[in-house]
Amino acid sequence: MSRFSKTLFAVLVVASMVLTACGGGGGGGEKAPIKVGAIFDLTGPTSDVGTPYGEGVKGFVEWKNANGGIDGHPIELISADYAYKVDQAEQLYTQYVQEGVVAFMGWGTGDTEALRGKIAADKIPFMSASYSANLLDMEAAPYNFLIGTSYSDQAIIAIRWAMDDYAAKGNSDKPKVVLIHHDSPFGQSPVPDAQAFAEANGVGFMDIAMPKGATDYVAELAQIQQFGASYVVIQNVSSPAAVLLKDAVSQGVTDTVQFITLNWCSDEIFINLAGDAAEGVIGTIPFTPPSSPVPGHDDPDAWLKEQGSSLAEKGLHYSQGWWTMATMAHGIELVLKDGKEVTGENLRAALESIQNFDTGGVTAPISFSPTSHRGSDSLRLFKVENGKWVQASDYISAGD
Amino acid sequence: MISGIFHSTYEKDMALRKTHTQKIRIAIVIIFVLAFPFFANRYFLTLANQVGIAIIGAIGLNILVGYTGQISLGQGGFMAVGAYAAGILTARMGMPWWGSTIAACFITALIGTLFGIPSLRLKGLYLAIATLAAQEIILWVVTHWRALTGGVDALVVPDPMLFGLRMNTDFNFYWVTWGLVAVVTILTVNLFRTRFGRAFIAIRDQDIAASVMGVDLFKYKLLAFAISSFWVGLAGALTAHYRNIVTWERFTVDISVLYLAMIIIGGLGSVTGSYLGATFMTLLPAVLTNLGRAVKSVLPVIDSIIPFIQQATFGIVIILFLIFEPEGLNKMWKDLKDYFRLWPFSY
Repeated sequence: MSRFSKTLFAVLVVASMVLTACGGGGGGGEKAPIKVGAIFDLTGPTSDVGTPYGEGVKGFVEWKNANGGIDGHPIELISADYAYKVDQAEQLYTQYVQEGVVAFMGWGTGDTEALRGKIAADKIPFMSASYSANLLDMEAAPYNFLIGTSYSDQAIIAIRWAMDDYAAKGNSDKPKVVLIHHDSPFGQSPVPDAQAFAEANGVGFMDIAMPKGATDYVAELAQIQQFGASYVVIQNVSSPAAVLLKDAVSQGVTDTVQFITLNWCSDEIFINLAGDAAEGVIGTIPFTPPSSPVPGHDDPDAWLKEQGSSLAEKGLHYSQGWWTMATMAHGIELVLKDGKEVTGENLRAALESIQNFDTGGVTAPISFSPTSHRGSDSLRLFKVENGKWVQASDYISAGD
Repeated sequence: MISGIFHSTYEKDMALRKTHTQKIRIAIVIIFVLAFPFFANRYFLTLANQVGIAIIGAIGLNILVGYTGQISLGQGGFMAVGAYAAGILTARMGMPWWGSTIAACFITALIGTLFGIPSLRLKGLYLAIATLAAQEIILWVVTHWRALTGGVDALVVPDPMLFGLRMNTDFNFYWVTWGLVAVVTILTVNLFRTRFGRAFIAIRDQDIAASVMGVDLFKYKLLAFAISSFWVGLAGALTAHYRNIVTWERFTVDISVLYLAMIIIGGLGSVTGSYLGATFMTLLPAVLTNLGRAVKSVLPVIDSIIPFIQQATFGIVIILFLIFEPEGLNKMWKDLKDYFRLWPFSY
């Protein structure tokens, strides 16, 4: 090869590399992408609900980018499965922060709580599907934002409803309520607030932890009956909740006791697993299920239908992920509208300025403020009728 | 032309680093460890800290399982004792973080010894089940003794400070972790040159013979549990201070199995093996995730199945090791060294 042809060859190689690099960047005409990190549980113990939630987050990003992005900026979502392992969540979190993400979408209570110190130090606004009231502590978790109604508020709403329902049935005394929960930070989370609320209102209260890996809950049901509870609030995920309900039906407990499920066991999976035993159960659902359509379901449904699926098939956790990401994107949009640079601090300030963000009826309107990251304290109750969640109340607030 | 390593004096035979190559190699490793944090970004520092903590825990477990032959499935529980002891002493009693770390080691050693008592009567699988019970009992106590541990809620530990420096940043903690890795390594390697270490190995190889030779089985088995738990408690305490938060979910039986996998893949009864196994098992998920990302950009179709491929790879790697190199990474490393030492004429 002559010297000239060598040089020519080198130039060609370099030129082709530059061209491919441009091609990968999406044509060069677009504005800079906004990086958002995310971890999902796709293979771990909560993957049954983690998968549709993750798909919802991704779905929103793809839909938004297909529709011009945020003010022309595409969202670049960097995500991976972490199998509900805290160590892996930490690895992925630091990696993504290193890569310059400005916001982070988490998942469970374990990883969200483990990361909150780092989140605060790195100033990365963080939204997850954990609605633990611990994350509302503005000192300890200044960058955590809660979209859903917190577990504590859900439990309080459940007890509030139980009191009204009990009085409506013509009783003059106060009901007794049992809160039966998963034996973990997630499960334990609403207990203190629920207990305080019950005691303040003269409602009899007991909490029972559901043992890990139990195959039946007959002993716990006997405890519930002995206590004389008329209402049982379940804070767990769908499959143990379904087992509990099946046992309750076979033991005849459902004749005297009304079961109320908090959000992680109030979904389509619960109904599928519990079957007929789910009939009549009340659910505190911050994210309206597709079985009772609202305008906020239209975009995700249309997007899914383009891919040959539908929201009814994916379930309510898809729209939960979709609207959580949408709220974060709304915050980013506000920062851009102000003409500011998208940094964690600016994004936090923008999120804190959100007042009554409309999710098309999927959730109660979401508001944040510099003193509270509680997106909403109200939700609607749903009831299982003929294998579907049907709206059973208007918005009930946990406040006052 | 070298045909092997031969020693002409007992001193040389007992030396930790027997050849020049070994000395040069350890010097390179030390320089690398010292220089690493100045070049690494935060992500790599986090990985390095996780690896360092895993190495301390794996060395602890290897003393018990690899050197003394007492199978333990209680690793997660003992780490929980260390983490909660350090967390409670610092958060509730205001003890400085370094003080609570040392105290946590002793507390874990005590609890470890307590659960080691059945080892006098139980061997093999039976002991494995007894230590599994220890794991479950410890976690049950941790999640239910609310007054002490805060129950299932997370225990928040204040930032560790030293001379006004926050020590749990990735960079600062690197020096704490790897300094302690060095201390643990030196002490453990030397432990097996003393009568205690030799007694442990004798018990592993044949406990009745050891007993006939005058090794007090009860004393030395309990001592093995104590020393092992001491290091495991250190690993737990470091986790607590590094992460400022302790939750029981980090110390489930999965962790016990993961650590056993580390020392089996790394090599039982070897400090180097603990290093290799801990590094391998900690970095494997990170490597798989990043490989997945690289593949995703080329083949976007397989995006949705990448997590499952990663999970399967994890299992397949372990099975392949057990089939093809049951003595672990340490044996592969030795074979590699032997190959090059005798190259090109190996016999």
